[in-house]
This record gives sequence, structure tokens and C-alpha cells, in this order.
Amino acid sequence: MPRATRRRIGPTAGSALLLVLAGLLLLAVLLSLAAGSRQIAPSVVVDALLHGGGSDDAQVIWSLRVPRTLIGVMAGVALAVAGTVMQGITRNPIAEPGILGVSQGASVGVVCAIAFLGVHSLNGYVWFAFAGAGIAAVAVYVIASGGRGGASPVKLALAGTAMNALLASVVSGIATTDARALDEFRFWHVGSLSGRSAEIAGQTWPFLLAGLLLVAAMARGLDALALGEDVAKGLGHNVPLLRILGGLGATVLTGVAVAAAGPIAFTGLAVPHIARALVGADHRWVLPAAALLGPVMLLVADVLGRVVFPPSEVPVAVMTALLGVPFLIALVRRKAVVAA
Amino acid sequence: MTSLTRPVRPTGFSVLRVGRGSFLLHRRATLVAVLLGAVLAVTAVVYLCVGESFVGPTEVVRVLCSAVGGGQPSPDEFVVGTLRMPRLAVGLLAGAAFGIAGSFIQTVARNPLASPDVIGVTQGAGAATVAAMTFGLAAPGTLPYVSILGGLAAAALVYVFAWRRGLHAARFVLIGIGISVALGSLTQLFLTKGDFLVAQQAKVWLTGSLNGRGYDHAAPLALILLVLTPALLWAARAQRTVLFDDDTATAQGVRLGRVRLCLTVLGVVLASVATAAAGPVDFVALLAPQIARRLTRTAHIPLVGSALTGALIVTVADLLARKLFSPIELPVGVFTAVVGAPYLMWLIVRTRSRSGGTS
Repeated sequence: MPRATRRRIGPTAGSALLLVLAGLLLLAVLLSLAAGSRQIAPSVVVDALLHGGGSDDAQVIWSLRVPRTLIGVMAGVALAVAGTVMQGITRNPIAEPGILGVSQGASVGVVCAIAFLGVHSLNGYVWFAFAGAGIAAVAVYVIASGGRGGASPVKLALAGTAMNALLASVVSGIATTDARALDEFRFWHVGSLSGRSAEIAGQTWPFLLAGLLLVAAMARGLDALALGEDVAKGLGHNVPLLRILGGLGATVLTGVAVAAAGPIAFTGLAVPHIARALVGADHRWVLPAAALLGPVMLLVADVLGRVVFPPSEVPVAVMTALLGVPFLIALVRRKAVVAA
Repeated sequence: MTSLTRPVRPTGFSVLRVGRGSFLLHRRATLVAVLLGAVLAVTAVVYLCVGESFVGPTEVVRVLCSAVGGGQPSPDEFVVGTLRMPRLAVGLLAGAAFGIAGSFIQTVARNPLASPDVIGVTQGAGAATVAAMTFGLAAPGTLPYVSILGGLAAAALVYVFAWRRGLHAARFVLIGIGISVALGSLTQLFLTKGDFLVAQQAKVWLTGSLNGRGYDHAAPLALILLVLTPALLWAARAQRTVLFDDDTATAQGVRLGRVRLCLTVLGVVLASVATAAAGPVDFVALLAPQIARRLTRTAHIPLVGSALTGALIVTVADLLARKLFSPIELPVGVFTAVVGAPYLMWLIVRTRSRSGGTS
């Protein structure tokens, strides 16, 4: 980031911090397994995880909460890393899959696959999610870079808003005309972790891994890009290639998250900024920190959504937006965003 | 003082004298308004003709006449007068209100992007209405007023957060987008809280659909528009004085701060009332003033033109929403978004200056 502190973190301090974050994630996972409309004591949770067993609590944990938590962790990792990469390659502090309409693009891809091609398995429609996310990302970036001033934050956000509105109306148009699967579609409007099976988590991880590897390979390139395009070029990086690979990685990660949990905004915005505040500007530390913090935020948001109005559940995307908007406002009030 | 044989008159204007008063009429703007009115009237008749069953235009006109003058009742009285008329009334009034609201706020912000649906006013009105519905706080008759409170609160919130040693247009729009997302999420939250029946009712309202809207939705809208008429007449004049740059306007004795505040409040109130009646129909407030201004080619945004264009957009969109995929009806908001969102993108591509002045 142009304005990020140039503070570097040492290997010892960095590892310690990552360990703390991992502990935090473990706590969030436990919380997600224990809390809900049926409260289960942490000791019972641990016991059920270790020994299984046929009690009601163990049933609830294994059949409902474990898949849900797994998908939450995966979507959280994917969204946080995707947000970090997007902020890096666009050099723009408010870039994020949700705000830029990339998630909604993936969502439209999935809805089209289900409605018009009859694809119902994740292995089938995840490709459509990738295609939709990619097209939406390119379209928003091209629109925002048009006109004078290049892709400034306000133009990116507006282009993303317009794209979101357009795609959301496409989704609701398809959902209204195709009454047979209205319930299936509702999920693609507002992201949620409920009702997703363990099978989905099992099918998601290869794609997630591919996206993460792609992004991990370019951490140094992102660092160079943070210093400016010319400097990156001078340091021997191929900037267009870097942007294309980064865009590809972010698209794959967003597509994975949407295919698993539906469109969820603001996780990818808040988490990279927190991670950068903790570990400095070095992407080799920022990326793992974001990958650990992302699921923490998503799981906490999901637990909040489960306990706020029991017995009904608030979709996780609603809660992340409520948690994330203050972040956006704080970022925008800092002068850097608007003057950029 | 030199004596002039002919009075000086701005080009493109005609003088209209009524008794001792006189007005300047922009010829092209007047022509456009008349034409828009004619197109709107034709659209309204088509709107009443078309539906599940077709009713001939002559029959529609007869029903309309009997409603006004009280002739003998027509056999199509039920379909046209009871089913389609109230819906048309809501569409026309809400469209006009959205158009006027957009023209005020875009004038004050000097930026077409700062229309009430982009900066969170309609979402605020929506959140307040859904909250009142699901928590059972308000009687159905007071919902429009709750909606106004919500819209004003949202606008105030955006203003407070965007204020930092002055207002910057880019910051204002970004904060507006953030607040509108937050309010949209709050609306979802309230929907989860409410019991099933109320939530279902609120959801239908939220899709921005004119389906099942009746005179009880149109009446408060008409009432508020009527009450606001003197204010609107004042605003039509004030709208032009705000257009000067700050120094010129101040030198001419315009109290800029006050005029801007009044125009903004009027715009927010109108957008909120329209939202209360028709639900959040996106992008009408953004589109209508821009189209109207391109038609009249005036420097300012024409008020009457915006109102008529807004009404026309909503009516045509609802007509398409009813007929295109019949027997399934789409929410009218889907159509306005499909037209409005690409227009917003086009605006972004061709913005000349990034900031576009203060608001």
C-alpha cells in the first residue's frame, strides 16, 4: 500500500504473532461449534470431537456445526486473501470482492448455471462462479479506469455499486421467473453458512489450495508493486503479468468462497487492513496473518448472527457488512483514500 | 441609462404575462414538458388497457370519464378502475416524486452521482419502514412518516460522517455507499426478527414492486405532494440560483447554506415518501433528471421535466415488468436497475473531473 507503514516485523515476533492469531482462530472455531440455538458446553464439544459418540449434542456438532464451521473457515481464508491481493494489485485501499461486485458476479454465474444448464453440484458450478467473478472483475476495473483520473477509489466503488445493483437485479429476475427453485436461489442473494453440507467443504478445498498457492507465489511481487509500478519494473518484475496472475488468484479465491457460502462482503476489506496494522507491509507476513484473521471474523460474525434473534438466524453476509461498514467509513475519512 | 426600443430578453425564452405578473418561459423546456405530458398520457392509457385481459382504449376512456363525471358504469369498471387504476396512480406519483427528489439533490451536489438511491436515502427509508413493520411500532397509516424519518436520519448520518473540514464530493459518495450497505444489512436483520407473516409482507414491499399497491399507498403520497406544492414552486426558482458559483451567488444575495439545506431536505422527504409508497425502486432518481436535462438542453435540471420523466420511467418499467414474462410479474425495481446501472457506469467512464465540486 502506498501509505502503509514501512515497519518490518522480525521472524521471531512475526511467528509469535501468527501463533497468537492461530490461537484466536482455534477459539473462534470452538465458539462456532458451541454456540447456537442449542448451547453446548465447550467440554462437551471437545469430547464429541475427540470421541464422537451418539449423544444428541454430538449429533448436532458432527452433522450441523462441523460442516458449517469448516465452510466458514474456508470462505474466510479465501475472502481475506482475495481482498489482500486485490488491494495490492489495484494499489487501492478499498478494493474488496464484495464492494467491487466480483462476489455478485460469481453469484450470477452460479445462478445461471443452475437455472439454464441444470448444474446442481459444486464441482459443476464452481467453474461458472470463476467465469462470473472474472468477467465482473475485469468489467468493473475497465469501467473505473475509463475517464480522467484513472481507477480512483471513488470510481471503483461506484462502478462496483452499479455492477452490484445490475447483477442483483439479474439474480432476482431469474429467481422470480424460475419459481421452482426459489429457495435454492435465495442463498445466492445473501451469503450464508447455514444448510451447507460437509460434501461442499470436501469439494471446495482443491480450488482453495490452488488459489492460495498462486497468491503465495507472488508475495514478493506484491511488495514491489506497493512501492509503485516504476519501482516494481525497475526491480525486475513483470508488472502486467503480476496483475494478471494476481487478478486470477483473487478471482479463483472469490469464486471458491461464493460457490461455498454465497456472496459475502466486507471480510476482504477489513481483514487486510487489520493484518497490515499488526505485521507491517511485508506481504509474506500479511498474507498468512490475513488468512488466519479472515476466518476469525467470519466465524464471529456467524455466531453473532445465530444468537442475536434466536431461534431464527441472520445470514452471515448481513453481519459481516454491519461489522465492516464502520471500517469503510474510517478508511474513507482518512484523507488518503479520497485524495488518491 | 440608455433607452431600448426592444426589451432585453434571454435567448430561448418567451415572456408570459398574467395580469400584472410575468414569467420567463424556456421555450424548449416548455415544449419538452408538453410532449412528455402527452407521451405520459398515452402510456397511462396503454397501461390501463394491457394486462391479464385486454380492455379497448375507448372502454378505458369511458371508465375514466365515468370516474370523473359519473356516467353509467362500464362492465370493465372492476378491471380498469379497481385493479389497474390505483397501481397506475402509485407508479405515476412515486415516479414523479423520485424525479423531483433526484433533481434537487443532484442540483445541490452538482453531481449526478449523488442521487438519493446511491447515497443511502432510500435504504434509510426502507430500513425504518421495515423496522416499524416487524417490531410493530407503527400503525399502517403512519408508515410514510416513519419512512421520512428514516430517510432524513440516513441523510444526516451520511452528512455527519462525510464532514471533515468541509464536504468533499468523493468522500460524500463513498460514505453514502457505505451507509447504504449498512442500512440494507440492517433491513435484512429486521426481516429475520419479525414473525413470518410480517416478514413476508415486508419482503414484498422491499422488492420495489407495484404489485398489489392501492389507493391507501397513493393517498399519503398525493397528500404530501400537495402540501409541499408551495415549497416546490419556491424550489424551482431556488434551484437556479444555487447553480452559480459560490461567490456569484453570495454576491447576488442568495443565502447559499440555507437554500441548499432546504433543497436537500425537500429532496430527501420526497424520495422517502416515494419509497414508502412503491418500495425502493432503484435508479429512477438518478436517471430522470439526467434524461430530462438532456431533452431540454438547459443548464439547470428542469423540475417539471424531471417529474414527468420519473413518472414515465416507472410506468413504462412496470408495464414491461407486468407483460414481458407474463404470467409472471417481475418487480419494477428489476427493470429500473437493468437500465439505470449501465447508465451509472457510463457516467463513471465519462466523468471529466473527479471531485465535481462541493455539496
